[in-house]
Amino acid sequence: MTDTTITLDGGRTASAAPAARPQRRRFRFGAWMGLLPFLGFLFLFLLLPTYGVVTKAFSNESGGFTTSAISDVISNERKAFYGSMKVSFVTALLGVVLGTMLAYAAATATRPKWLRSLVSAFSGVAANMGGVVLAFLFITLLGRQGLGTKLVREGLGYDLYGTSWFDISSFWGWVTVYMYFQIPLMVLVTLPAIDGLKPAWREASSNLGGTTWTYWRRVGLPVLAPSMLGGFLLLFANAFSAYATVYALNTQANLMPVKISAGLRNDVGGRSPAPYALATCMIVVIAVAMGGYLLLRKRAERWRAT
Amino acid sequence: MSSRPLRSRLSRIGPNLVLLGALVFFTAPLVSTARQALQTVPMPLLNWNTLSDKWTLAGVRRIFDEENFWPTLRVSLELAAATVVITLALLVPTALFVHLRLPKARALVEFLTVLPYVVPPVALAAGVAAFYRANARWFFTSTYALVPFYVVMALPFTYRAIDAGIKAIDVRTLVDASRSLGAGWVTTLRRAVLPNMASSLISASFLTATVVLGEFTIAVTLAKQTFPTFAFEFFGRDFQGGVALALLTLVMTTVLLGILTILTRPKAVRAARKTDRLAKA
Repeated sequence: MTDTTITLDGGRTASAAPAARPQRRRFRFGAWMGLLPFLGFLFLFLLLPTYGVVTKAFSNESGGFTTSAISDVISNERKAFYGSMKVSFVTALLGVVLGTMLAYAAATATRPKWLRSLVSAFSGVAANMGGVVLAFLFITLLGRQGLGTKLVREGLGYDLYGTSWFDISSFWGWVTVYMYFQIPLMVLVTLPAIDGLKPAWREASSNLGGTTWTYWRRVGLPVLAPSMLGGFLLLFANAFSAYATVYALNTQANLMPVKISAGLRNDVGGRSPAPYALATCMIVVIAVAMGGYLLLRKRAERWRAT
Repeated sequence: MSSRPLRSRLSRIGPNLVLLGALVFFTAPLVSTARQALQTVPMPLLNWNTLSDKWTLAGVRRIFDEENFWPTLRVSLELAAATVVITLALLVPTALFVHLRLPKARALVEFLTVLPYVVPPVALAAGVAAFYRANARWFFTSTYALVPFYVVMALPFTYRAIDAGIKAIDVRTLVDASRSLGAGWVTTLRRAVLPNMASSLISASFLTATVVLGEFTIAVTLAKQTFPTFAFEFFGRDFQGGVALALLTLVMTTVLLGILTILTRPKAVRAARKTDRLAKA
């Protein structure tokens, strides 16, 4: 992978350089200055705040360097960390599987012509739908007095709240609600990859005597794998940072974003380093997941260009 | 020969079941919300006989009686307008600049625009508290201090929308043509470039506005009163009213999205045809 990048870069520079050089030199400095407002804005409103979080996480009351806040948070808020990890992992996994299935079903459907564009347009909206409104929607459906809860109880004879595993304000409730934006997000990620699966590959596979299963195991899934794995990381990061939805379902949820927000609101004087230490841990986890996603996305695009 | 349609129909069973399941999952919450918002029959009494009883707009009406409804809506609309203006003013020149003058910086700028994904809203709120509470209190205490952070939050979507708009038109030819006809930079932008990007500017604005109008995390963490924080507080006091408010928000968003689609479609279709023609040539 690194090899291709180097040759590509080298090729581009080599072919572009000779003719344009004198003019370029003159414009260069001015051109970079044109980015100044944008860079300045990001510096002020993204970089400085992030820097503020990290320094607060690593400084003691008098401003000296310490890692005690981080280690305190790691030992005291282990449950919130695991809780966030668990809900992100489960919703990302389910989102990848169900989202890929939905994208495949929509991409290969031929009958109503508008189906595919409906699915992708709806996904665009629903993927960004988190927030308090989404929580309200699901409370009316799957809350203790919800319409869905009633239908399941009276239609299927199963009481969702009969045993203690399901509650809209606890783990499986959150998972259900998160699927409303995780599945559409996965559809958006994976639709282009599924379009990249050429019908000819399938025909080739069956001409060689392959079954549907062989096709998927030897061709389909390997081609889709980078975008599915990338999608997993994106969905993981997405669920890890989600706050509004889960807070509206349960203001006491033991998850990292809820802890950070509560810590900040209770800490009026800005003395306690705990929320900042938590936020630092969160940024690190998300940076790792997103970094992996961006790398995998590059790889997934390989089949799309051809 | 005749077994082919049957086989392909059989192979569609799985996908069709998936589509059906998705339809149920994604519409059921909307149906239950509409019922909860507009009907006052308590859930235990709801059955086929009472299904048509007591449909009412009382819940919706109670929203408008709330004293905080209009003020917080106003604040959020102002925040949205300010965020849209700053987003466009910042990103359109930057994106044009990158395309026309500094293609080398493209990868860097694209990377920077996805950075906000790494700093989630709660962490950004923590950052605002960490840095601006101590260093610029007047800024920190103002509700409008949210604007630049909303610009940052919406950046990944908005930059991509604007960038796509520039890619869809042949901006270099447009600029060269306009300049060679004697137009200055301002005229070139105003009469040649921006009108051709209208649909992408509209969708970037719409995306930004929806992000701002629904943003809850930073507002509640920094104790600002905006429309979503009002909605949350109202829901806690008046279940049916809160659900009616959620329904109203969804309906409004859908209507706006419909208007947006109509506004942007002809341009998009034209752009697609243009690229088709270019591809053939």
